[in-house]
Amino acid sequence: MNRLLFSIDRISAFTGKAAAWAIVLLTLVVAYDVVARYVFNRPTQWGFDVTYMLYAVLFMLAGAYTLSRNGHVRGDVLYRFLSPRTQAALDLALYLLFFVPGILALAWYGIGFAQDSFAILERSQTSASDIPIYPLKAIIPVAGALLLLQGLAEIVRCLICLRSGEWPGRLHDVEEVDLDELKAMTQSESQR
Amino acid sequence: MKHARFGLFFLLLVSAGIIALLLVPEQITRGHLGLLMLGLIVVAILLGFPTAFTLMGLGMVFGFIAFHRSWQPFFQNPIFDQMVLRTFGVMTNDVVISVPLFVFMGYLIERANVIDRLFHSLQIAMHRVPGSLAVATIATCTLFATATGIVGATVTLMGLLALPAMLRAGYDTKLSAGVITAGGCLGILIPPSVMLILYGATAGVSVVQLYAGALIPGVMLALLYVIYVIVRAKMNPKLAPPLPRDAVDLPLSKVVWMLATSFVPLTLLIVAVLGSIVAGIATPTEAAAIGAIGAMLLALVYRGLTFERFKESVFLTARTTAMVCWLLVGSALFSAVFALLGGQALLEGWIKTLDLTPTQFLLLSQAIIFLLGWPLEWTEIIVIFVPIFLPLLDHFGIDPLFFGILVALNLQAAFLSPPVAMAAFYLKGVAPPHVTLGQIFKGMMPFMAIQVLAMVLLYMFPQIGLWLPRALYQ
Repeated sequence: MNRLLFSIDRISAFTGKAAAWAIVLLTLVVAYDVVARYVFNRPTQWGFDVTYMLYAVLFMLAGAYTLSRNGHVRGDVLYRFLSPRTQAALDLALYLLFFVPGILALAWYGIGFAQDSFAILERSQTSASDIPIYPLKAIIPVAGALLLLQGLAEIVRCLICLRSGEWPGRLHDVEEVDLDELKAMTQSESQR
Repeated sequence: MKHARFGLFFLLLVSAGIIALLLVPEQITRGHLGLLMLGLIVVAILLGFPTAFTLMGLGMVFGFIAFHRSWQPFFQNPIFDQMVLRTFGVMTNDVVISVPLFVFMGYLIERANVIDRLFHSLQIAMHRVPGSLAVATIATCTLFATATGIVGATVTLMGLLALPAMLRAGYDTKLSAGVITAGGCLGILIPPSVMLILYGATAGVSVVQLYAGALIPGVMLALLYVIYVIVRAKMNPKLAPPLPRDAVDLPLSKVVWMLATSFVPLTLLIVAVLGSIVAGIATPTEAAAIGAIGAMLLALVYRGLTFERFKESVFLTARTTAMVCWLLVGSALFSAVFALLGGQALLEGWIKTLDLTPTQFLLLSQAIIFLLGWPLEWTEIIVIFVPIFLPLLDHFGIDPLFFGILVALNLQAAFLSPPVAMAAFYLKGVAPPHVTLGQIFKGMMPFMAIQVLAMVLLYMFPQIGLWLPRALYQ
């Protein structure tokens, strides 16, 4: 079971990490646009559209990845004092009640939303660049499906925890406050 | 199995409530449903489920009820399309684009190996000031937190660097813990901060003006901290004994060189990013992108930037951005349904009948935000609760810009309020074992009082916040 869960985690992490590189592109595109505008006085036509599309790809496709790392903010004032079983019971109920309806709607109705856009080969209205907008809309059902898959994995995790009384493991990943890393950074200085 | 039953029971209870609401005819108005929704969100968030999906879920459930017509097939309820449309709205929000860029810049600086040099050089440059180590800690925290915007990393790093240094020098434990936690939280307030972008996005206030407005109050708060430390150290040198001279007395040229290679580049980066925004040369998005490239260069120069660390920054940026933006998706649906139900109108009508003076309203709203800041994160407060007060500002003649700066200061204080203050837990995580959580909390108290003082000052002299934006943009 754990192997299946880890596989789903890997799918989410793979797409999320692939989409994460959009931030580098986004930085470069905006910087290029700035140089084109202020240095060469020739602003790009496509700059604005491309930036918000990259931003949208970044956060939409990283949603499932973030969920797989338990990275969505929680109001955990009380939650963290509960036993794992109670946590799992609450989570399970709320995944079914809150998560599934919204994400299912996103995935399913997102298909129609994208199809309508594809049907007329919709183009961006915000600039004269005439950039197609239907690929962006197609991101919605894809992100919805990924989140749904990861959500199912989380639901299974809740069930496992309800039975065993402890949360099943997750894959290791980089953390915002990575103690070992930060310790290494402060020690390298004191040795110099 | 007790727990499973508990969960199941809870689920049944909520479902029963919803079915009851569907069946009960026009006895309760839709506005009341909206208020129920608002009440439920506080309870639901405290259940500990990821807030983005809690908002989404409540929006779906109440939206379904609001849109429900008996002749309408279940799957044609407009709420499903609303979910997609609101998501697309966040995807095309051009104010929020700057969030991932600032976050990226922050992670790059966090990994740039700059904080230890910064602390070391500031500590030596300031050694004549009473309580020099604590003052240098505040200065380092302020600069680093401003550049990165990451409270956890700032407090942890300073907990590793400055706390042992201060304790070794015989500083009071509470004072040492207080300066680190208070200084580390400043990054949320002092621009370029993500909090102000989110406030701007939800309130429809220009982020540029918010940045200009929060700059002076933020720096004022840092200065108040410094003054407090110096006064305490002067009055009672035992709290912060002066350092032995030989340890810190370096030739001036060496000190200048140390500052030039640590303090100056980082300050220049912040000033360039912030200055170009406030002066109206670049949009926040443009300045953030240039800032991220500057941070990359800085990290390269300091040899902090390996490909591994760069990759980590990229992935962390994606996760933080996803966290913030999915929260926006949830709150977009939630607030659309809340408005549709007329909850907003009912609440506004009710507050208007209270006949409050603008001052009373301001105090009431800030008190509510402060109280909510105790159990909730600032992200949740900004995207859920602040929008409720916003439409009322016009009625009371309060400038949304001024309100935003007050909220930002207010949430600062909430950051340091025990027992939830995350900063304290980050510090405890790296402090020597003899430093207790109680000592850290006690150390934070005076700084909380200073924050309240700063709020009072800002309230009595709104010019502190409004002078710069007015001078620049009017």
